[in-house]
Amino acid sequence: MKDSRIGVYICWCGNNIAKMVDVEQLAEEIGKLENVIISRDYKYMCSDPGQELVIKDIKEHQLDRIVVAACSPRIHELTFRKALENAGLNQYLLEMANIREHVSWVHTDREIATVKAADLIRAAIEKVSYHEPLEKLSVDIDPATLIIGGGVAGMSAALSIAEAGKQVYLLERDEKLGGHAADIDLSFPYLNSVASFLGPMIKRVSEHKHIKVYKGTTIEDIFGYIGNFETSIKPNGGGKEELKFGHIIVATGLKAYDPTPIENYAYGRIKDVITSSEFEQMLLSGKILTKQGKVPEHVAIIHCVGSRNNDTHEYCSRTCCTTALKYANQLRSALPDAGIYDLYADMRAFGKGCEELYTSTSGRNIMFLMFDPEKNLPVVSEAKQDEECEMIIRMEEKMSGENIEVPADLVILMTAMEARDDAKDISHIAGISMCGNNFYIEKHPKLDPVATTTDGVYIVGTCQGPKDIPESISQARAAAARVLAGILRGTVAVEVTTAVVNEDICCGCQTCISVCPYSAITFDEEKNVSEVNEVICKGCGSCGSACPTGAIRSRHYTDRQILSQIKGMLNRGKLKITQTIIEEA
Amino acid sequence: MRRLNMEKFEPKIISFLCNWCSYTGADLAGTSRMKYAHNIRIIRVMCSGRVDPTFVLKSFREGADGVLICGCHPGDCHYHEGNYKCMRRVEFLKRYIKQMGIDERRIRLEWISASEGKQFAALADEMREQIASLGPCRVRKVIENVS
Repeated sequence: MKDSRIGVYICWCGNNIAKMVDVEQLAEEIGKLENVIISRDYKYMCSDPGQELVIKDIKEHQLDRIVVAACSPRIHELTFRKALENAGLNQYLLEMANIREHVSWVHTDREIATVKAADLIRAAIEKVSYHEPLEKLSVDIDPATLIIGGGVAGMSAALSIAEAGKQVYLLERDEKLGGHAADIDLSFPYLNSVASFLGPMIKRVSEHKHIKVYKGTTIEDIFGYIGNFETSIKPNGGGKEELKFGHIIVATGLKAYDPTPIENYAYGRIKDVITSSEFEQMLLSGKILTKQGKVPEHVAIIHCVGSRNNDTHEYCSRTCCTTALKYANQLRSALPDAGIYDLYADMRAFGKGCEELYTSTSGRNIMFLMFDPEKNLPVVSEAKQDEECEMIIRMEEKMSGENIEVPADLVILMTAMEARDDAKDISHIAGISMCGNNFYIEKHPKLDPVATTTDGVYIVGTCQGPKDIPESISQARAAAARVLAGILRGTVAVEVTTAVVNEDICCGCQTCISVCPYSAITFDEEKNVSEVNEVICKGCGSCGSACPTGAIRSRHYTDRQILSQIKGMLNRGKLKITQTIIEEA
Repeated sequence: MRRLNMEKFEPKIISFLCNWCSYTGADLAGTSRMKYAHNIRIIRVMCSGRVDPTFVLKSFREGADGVLICGCHPGDCHYHEGNYKCMRRVEFLKRYIKQMGIDERRIRLEWISASEGKQFAALADEMREQIASLGPCRVRKVIENVS
């Protein structure tokens, strides 16, 4: 270990860590380690007084390295880096030990958890002693923004940014703006016409002087980093156009689930079984008719088609229950004498005004029947010739426990929302990650819900998960605010945890150049050494592990730092933790 | 107060996780309060492609009984192809450690995405079982006796 003056701060995280890890004993024992000047435990390190504690100690005790043992660095590393900076210490002289997500929340034995926490803190102490001060690189932010997707979310974001006087490039793969909302007749819960607000919105976007709309245009690649992205597109398949922009908002939306694989519902086999999107078209056309052109006497609506079932999608699609209630209302108004049956799994009418819609719908002579979405899905079959209806739905009604038969001339399947087929392509192009079900993943589910792990790239609307129109618009405006804040700042500090070549050791083999995924390394023929372009390098470290001479260092993750971390993790020394003195194995 | 049972062999496993997928997946296991074997000690690297062979060798040298490397699923690497580089390296490493007298099953490379907290917890348990059945790795002792 390198001689240093280290301060170690062990967080209780209320009871989240303290319950499973003996933080007080840890702080005391860690304090006895070499180079550790101060070792403290505190209720909430991330709180203002917690950070103040670090700042005060740095100044008073001339600390030059800080270890915070708390939650995941993915959550609070930036918080503590700022604290170091406020104390006048370079922010990279910090290392975090993740003793919450990786220890207290996943283990059940307090002694064992405390020992493991001690190992992680030892490793952090060893590693931080080799940390080097790094200076962030400041780059200018291009004030233009690229928005991918011209649905309600993409258009809302575009308008918010354009109203602030900033340029927006809005890309839409289809020939028209509006996305899925354009295919919807009325919105819930107040049954207002979607066209009444969507039409004016499309008009405003199309005519806005700061929005350039590219219809029928797709995107194949984006280069660069926050503040300085660029791409070349072929608007409408025509000539190439180069675009430069500082931020990206992804608003690519979703697609409706195809219910053909669910045999019970006979979609595709019985022609009067239709999806909610098809019914929406029927409503837009103003005629509710069976395929034979008859007015249906019995209409059944089936919920959770493709949702909340492990064979299809485990998640809830969130909007279908309330949409089904909307249909029930529209059907009752259009067909006053028809039998209307709503086959639901659980009525999830959450959201403002939605439970009220459920209550008022219940009073309009709609029959609500409950089924189990995991087993016993209702079975739709054609009725016999002599029956008075076209189809019979057999189901086990959960409330009464009875097996019943429901008549139907028209069956509407409330299909799930799922990620688009090209979700993966866009995720690669924009550098964002996906969850298991191919929806895009946010930087933090609670604290940073529209940002992604790539700086400068935001996700809004249903590409992030099923949601309704107001939720999509809220996200769009949130992302627009984030983008405008960036533009207003004008510059951004980019990470410098990049690779760097030690010219004295570099043997000129150029192995690094062949492994670099960003072509960030070039060869200096004159000096016979490799050179890294710091702005292009993203710090993956591939070159560092391929370099045969150790000439390339991955800053902040250098060989020496990681090797010391390994050593610290496996050598407990005479650290007295819990009742046992743990000898070296 | 109960004493830690030092008799029973509890393997030490060093785990290198890439920041974008696997480390996030392990965090998710925590946020979801899943319980798994305590033997895993996690080291964060930006990419599985950063895992230098010396990191693995150093782990054994310092007394690890197993090394678990996790990266993004093929095609999902944040840096395009770092996980493929890691995959090739691990294959060579396995042959190499075999020649050193270390069972190649002590190294394992798996893909864990950011949403696979459950899979990570299961993998940690599996890895513990596997390494426990192989017994302690004696490399460190041997080296110390020689020097």
